[in-house]
Amino acid sequence: MKLKIKPHTRKSFLTYALVIAAFTATQIYISSGSASNMFQGLLVPFCVYSIAAASLNLTVGILGELSLGQAGFMCIGAYSSAIFSVVTKDTITNVWIRFPIALLIGGIFAAIFGVLIGIPVLRLRGDYLAIVTLAFGEIIKNVFAALYVGYDSKGLHFSMTSQGDLGLEPDGTMLIKGALGISGTPKDSTFVIGFVLLLLTLIILYNFIYSRTGRAVMSIRDNRIAAESVGLNITKYKLITFGLTAFLAGISGALFSHNLSILQASKFDYNLSILILVFVVLGGIGSIRGSVIAAIVLTYLPEALRKTGSSLTNYRMLIYSVILIVMMIFTSNAKIRGFFSAQFMKLKRLVIKDKTPAVKEAE
Amino acid sequence: MALLEVKKLGISFGGLRAVDEFSMTINKGDLYGLIGPNGAGKTTIFNLLTGVYKPTDGSITLDGVNLTGKSTIEINKAGIARTFQNIRLFSNLSVLENVKVGLTNHYKYSALTGVLRLPKYFRMEKEMNERALELLKPFDLQDDATTLASNLPYGKQRKLEIARALATQPKLLLLDEPAAGMNPKETAGLMETILTVREQFGVTVLLIEHDMSLVSGICEKLSVLNFGQLLCEGKTSEVLSNPEVIKAYLGE
Repeated sequence: MKLKIKPHTRKSFLTYALVIAAFTATQIYISSGSASNMFQGLLVPFCVYSIAAASLNLTVGILGELSLGQAGFMCIGAYSSAIFSVVTKDTITNVWIRFPIALLIGGIFAAIFGVLIGIPVLRLRGDYLAIVTLAFGEIIKNVFAALYVGYDSKGLHFSMTSQGDLGLEPDGTMLIKGALGISGTPKDSTFVIGFVLLLLTLIILYNFIYSRTGRAVMSIRDNRIAAESVGLNITKYKLITFGLTAFLAGISGALFSHNLSILQASKFDYNLSILILVFVVLGGIGSIRGSVIAAIVLTYLPEALRKTGSSLTNYRMLIYSVILIVMMIFTSNAKIRGFFSAQFMKLKRLVIKDKTPAVKEAE
Repeated sequence: MALLEVKKLGISFGGLRAVDEFSMTINKGDLYGLIGPNGAGKTTIFNLLTGVYKPTDGSITLDGVNLTGKSTIEINKAGIARTFQNIRLFSNLSVLENVKVGLTNHYKYSALTGVLRLPKYFRMEKEMNERALELLKPFDLQDDATTLASNLPYGKQRKLEIARALATQPKLLLLDEPAAGMNPKETAGLMETILTVREQFGVTVLLIEHDMSLVSGICEKLSVLNFGQLLCEGKTSEVLSNPEVIKAYLGE
């Protein structure tokens, strides 16, 4: 008997294909010269928010725990990678060596914090993770906003009060200037790198979800007691998942920081965490592809509405909120979803005359 | 040879003594029944045996290993698997995946191997698929392998729970009211299945059941529980004709 385990593989490859197609279309659009500056400036943020949303969906949709601290992990990733790049930009001049290391540093530091938070919190049941991550995000933002770091021939100097308190030698350089943040980060992020990272993120996420570990995680989400009864170590699987989410969030933060000349901690506030959660919810909880689409559409929309210059500009927040509500109805209402998938099937049957889908064995 | 030895097991919830001085010995290969009126403490005993509750007194030994006070996870690894009275499936996973979750601790590869899709991943997944299909066969579920567990009809959901429990390679299988909600025909089928499973997988079975046709049909030995205490134990026919059991549970 031939098993149809294929839907998983089909789902993931369709997503990769969509992302690659969108990338190609965008590149053609840019090379045609008709792309606006606004649009070009949004390309890296598209990737940043897509990665952040897709990885948050791993915790919210696959693990079934609510996390409100995605911005906190992005902040750690952004700062740690930016510090690395500022310090090494004169010694490692090759971007292709420096930037991947910076990205990894951002991811690893965020993952360390993710695991540290996860160890006590993920043992508990209920909404503790939401509460703790919410607090964590705010603490991280405020700590970085008050942090002064500089380095000179004697090494690194830290202070939480002021720049003068650091006691830098005359040859010293400031790294973090409190609320003014980090400046001078090399602008290493490009759309191509962002696209590659997004694709890698998707591959990591799909491969993780459709593996032994991912299955265990989903079983914990579906029924914790039953998962324990078949001998699954709940805390371990939760930690792995939450750590991976933090790692990818850190990478998206690193991508974000290398797209800005000045990085300020105030960017990583509560609103950013909620915004990313909105992408996840509206894209469909548990749907990685949906998160990416929602992140791109909802990042583009406010900017596009701002630009139109017509009378619409005044109503842009109104239009934005209406679209949010409509998306929510469409993605959460089973009847409406069923209606559209039925229409889609009809269309498919018209296009493909052959009713038996060619299913190949791959796994 | 004794597989499971329970000695003077007891648990109190505040002032309530839910199980008191309960002892039971199950031999390898037995098909053992645990019966008693509602609220007698049968499921509590299952929860004690699987580590959901920690006993206040007494000991549990499986195959010579002391399991008293161990966690659910350790107990499952030691060889006790269970099903639940109110079905607990992984409802958003397919039938095959439900069983594969049960195989998690026996077909190991790291999360990194999975993410990188190393050759080991494909090899292990293939083995898991084959093993899972093998486990589904006695329950006649292999054709539903890709169906979502929540879309299965009730009777099949109960069977899937047994298949998932068997996937963890238990020595002792605990079935909590496997025939609940089944019609007589389904119950008869289930009895066949339980006997086949015992034969094929070499497991010892302990089951809680109210359906007397199933109990008298397949159980070789019985323990009767009443108000948390052992009322009577022994061969099925003897126990069921015991006047005390008839008075407390079966009705005159």
